[in-house]
Order: sequence, then C-alpha cells, then structure tokens
Amino acid sequence: MVETEDSCSQVICDLNAAWAIAKKDIRTYYLKPNIIVAGLLFPLFMFLAFAAGRTTVTGSLIPGLVAITILFSASTIEPVSIPIERRVGTFERLISAPVTFPAIVFGESLSGLIYSVGIALLPVVIGLLAFSTPILNPLILFVGMVLCAFCFSTMGTLVASYPTENVGEVMSILNVIRLPLVFISGVFIPLADLPGVARIITFGSPLTYGYDLISYGFHGTGYFPIFLDLAVLVGFCLLFQYTAAWLYRRFNE
Amino acid sequence: MNAIEVSGLEKRFGPITAIGGIDFSVRDGETFGFLGPNGAGKTTTIRILTGVARPTKGRAAIFGHDVVNETLAAKKHLGIVTEVSNIYDDLTGWQNVAFAGSLYNVPRAEIQKRGTELLEQFGLLERQHDRAKGYSKGMKRRLCIAMGLVNAPRLLFLDEPTSGLDVQSNLIIRQVIRDLNREGVTIFLTTHNIEEANLTCERVAIINHGQIAAIDTPERLKRAISSVQSVEVAFDRVIPSLQDDLTGLPGVNELRKEGDKFRLLTSDPPALLLQVMDYAHQHGLAVIRVCTLGPTLEDVFIRLTGIELPAEGKDAW
Repeated sequence: MVETEDSCSQVICDLNAAWAIAKKDIRTYYLKPNIIVAGLLFPLFMFLAFAAGRTTVTGSLIPGLVAITILFSASTIEPVSIPIERRVGTFERLISAPVTFPAIVFGESLSGLIYSVGIALLPVVIGLLAFSTPILNPLILFVGMVLCAFCFSTMGTLVASYPTENVGEVMSILNVIRLPLVFISGVFIPLADLPGVARIITFGSPLTYGYDLISYGFHGTGYFPIFLDLAVLVGFCLLFQYTAAWLYRRFNE
Repeated sequence: MNAIEVSGLEKRFGPITAIGGIDFSVRDGETFGFLGPNGAGKTTTIRILTGVARPTKGRAAIFGHDVVNETLAAKKHLGIVTEVSNIYDDLTGWQNVAFAGSLYNVPRAEIQKRGTELLEQFGLLERQHDRAKGYSKGMKRRLCIAMGLVNAPRLLFLDEPTSGLDVQSNLIIRQVIRDLNREGVTIFLTTHNIEEANLTCERVAIINHGQIAAIDTPERLKRAISSVQSVEVAFDRVIPSLQDDLTGLPGVNELRKEGDKFRLLTSDPPALLLQVMDYAHQHGLAVIRVCTLGPTLEDVFIRLTGIELPAEGKDAW
C-alpha cells in the first residue's frame, strides 16, 4: 500500500519536474540563433535545393518538407542545450534533484516536441495557402506530427547523452545519423519506386513511418497500414527514451 | 539518526583512486567542514553523497537512506550549492528559484511564499524579474544559495559558498549559515577559507589524497599540534637585516611575513618573546604590536596535508 502510494507520488513528482524542465528549455533555448538555423532554415534550404529543377508539383512535396522540418527541429534543441548545461554546471542541478533519469529525458524531449510541432506548422500553412495542398485527415496529420516530433526529440536527447561539453561534437554525431535518414525514408523518393534492398533499408528508419503517417494526413493514403506506422513510431519513442535514460545514468556513474 | 553516515567509501576512476575507503558521520543539525587541498577527493565525496556519482565500494547514507539504493529518498532531504553558481542566465531570478522548487516538487503556493522570502533575505527581491545574466558575481552566488534552500532542506551542501565574493555577499551568506544552523539545518561546508571553517564549523574533517587525515572540532585539532605556536610582532620601522635577524633568533622554527607583521613559529613563545624585546631594544626599534598565538586551523591543515610552502613563501606568506 505504502509502496504504491510512494510510486504514485514519484510519478507525479517526475511529471511535474519533466514539465518544469521543458518550460525551462522553452524559455532558455527556443530563440537561440543556432537552434533557429539548425531547426528551421537548414531543412528549408535542403528542401528548396531538392525541389528546384524537379518536375513534380511543389505542393506534393509538402508532406516531405513537414517531415524533414520535424526531423531537424525536434532533434536540435537537446544536442545544443545539454552540452551547454554540462559546461555551465546546470545539468548537474537536474541530476542531483530527486527526479528519475526517465523524467529528465522525458522533460528534455518534451521541449523539442513542442518546438518542433510549432515550427512544422509553418510548412503546413505554406502548403495550404501557397500550394493549396489538401489535408484530408487533420487528426492523423496532427498525431503523426506529434509522434514524429517526440521520436526525433528523444533521438536528439539520446545523442546528447554523449558525455561532452562541446556542442559541435554532439551535432557532428547527430548529423551522421539524421542526414542519411532523409535519403532512406521515402521523403524525396517514394518507397514504391525504390529498388528492393534500398526499400528494406528504409524500413529501419523512424522517419519512414513518420513521413508515411504525415502523408496519410495530407493525402489520405500511405505505403504502410496506419496502425503499423503508429506502432513502429511508438516503439521507436520507447526505445529511444529507455536507451537515453540508461545512457545518462551510466555516464553519470 | 545521523544526517550523513559514510563507511568504507571508495571511488576509483580506472587505475586512479579518488577516495580510498573513508569513514565519517555528520550529526543531525551539525555544521561540518570538509577541508582538503585541490584533488584531495572533496568534490568526488560530495558528488557521491548528493547521488550524482556512484561509489566503487562502501556505503553512504543520508538520514538513513542509502545513496545508491534509495537515491531519490536521500535526495529529497538535500539542498545543494555547487562551487560554480549553476544558475540559468537566460531566466530571471524568480524563474530560477521557481524552477529549483519545481524539481523538488515544492507546491506552487509554497514556492511563491518561500521564494519571495529567500529573495528578500538575499537582497534580490528588487531584481527578481531581471534576467540573471545581468547579475553581479555576488548576486549570482546568492541566487544559487536561494535555489538550494527553496525546498527547505534538512541537509545543505555548500561548496565554496563565499569564494571570491564581495564583502556584502560574504556577510549575507555567513549570516544565513548561522541562521540555518540555529534552525537545525545540517550544513556540510567545503571551503578553502580555513578561517571561515574555524569560525563556522562545529567539526571539520581534513581529507588528503582520498583519505581522511583528521576529523575533530577545530579547537581539538589545534591542540593536537600545540608545538606550532608563535609570536606575532610588528615594529615601527623596518631595517634591512630585520627578517634575517628574526629568523636567526634562538627558538625560531620558521618565519612568516604577514603584511606589516612577522609571525615567528616556535615551541616556546615566552622565551622567544624576551628575545624579540631584547632585539628591538638593541636596534632602537619600537614594538607597536606583539602577541603570542596558538596554532591556527590553517597550521593544522598545512601540517596534516603536508603542503609545501613555496621557497620564499615561508617568509613572504
């Protein structure tokens, strides 16, 4: 009985602390120039570079733009904030508080999620206003964007567990992971058009399922069944959360 | 129940032993000083006690809660002020305090009440809505301590609380330490300012090379090295051979120049006092101050840690 009460109250403590961590990140990092460049401008220029010279109707590329905007914006906050906080000693404040590592990881990831969904609304609005890109299933689009954002913000938190105070080191590792993801996820080349081996490789990328879900939201159709997309994304979220919490604990021993 | 209980605590980083099997306890409500030269193992010990690092061997408990197996329960009692003022420069003073309270699950109304009291106590209330990046070093330090107290901890870790601060901040912080002690809060103080530990702490531990070299009350520690006594003297003027002459007086073991005064270390202060007065008379010097001193806590620290003074430091100390 007592144990249950204790564990319940710890869950509430953890959720409160996670939200406090997310709010702190929102107030502190959202307007940092390197966050804006890496999270908003980088995917935009990448998209424009890819879209230029293609015969495809630009409006049909909007789901791809939304997906890569989420990938870059969600995964950028923590790889910037956590090494900085290690350097100035504020990260130790989190570790020494009566908060579990999963709660710290969740709180850090939450700020990336909120930032990313906010930023990704921009290409959605551009698609609607400039290219009249229809949104056939707004609920699926929203769920897809949130899940995708949480998945990649957790991925950013996971990469930021690398014990360094140097932002550049973490960003280098992150780019080695996320840049290839753009090309093995069906964002620019539809999965159906990929040759066999390449298509199998894309099955290992969370962006594949995130993009598929977002496409579903826009076009009403996707490559995979919708529940498979949801299940795999949730699976990646849990895997990244668990691994990140484990690594933070391990690196602080 | 003791506030801190440490037994056989050991921490190794590969082949390096940072702390090697230390034992000590801190009583509930006690102000305890933890002294040692750089690299002695102070920070590693604090990191283990605050649940940030894990020991390689041994056990540490905070109010009976094991720091490894019951980490969260142990952490709930703590307030931590690290050596570096780890505040968020982009948040306001108030937001910093509120954030610290949220991490300890302090109810919002309590944060409001206690946060306001603390900011007022530390002289920060007027600047509470300014971003901390505009604060002076002393203000940042005071804010950091306010953040460490917002959860009303039973045990406060203070790592170098007054290092490099202005007089106003020093006075505020020392007063707060005294007030907390009166309220029954246990204080674990790490400082390089040995006089501060002497004045503030009921007991001190001196750690060196990862081992506890001594642990006792400051006065008992000083008595243990009573051979380190001294005569302190100041003259109305300085003659060229003064330092050499004083060093050569019978019974002088060491000379330390402290500002305009000379401190002559000896095992027989009364005999040396006569020698000094004789010397002054012979050379036409007026003695403007003279006194005999027992060993200071700093002497104890130097003796126990085996710190070597620089070659000319013995004279220029």
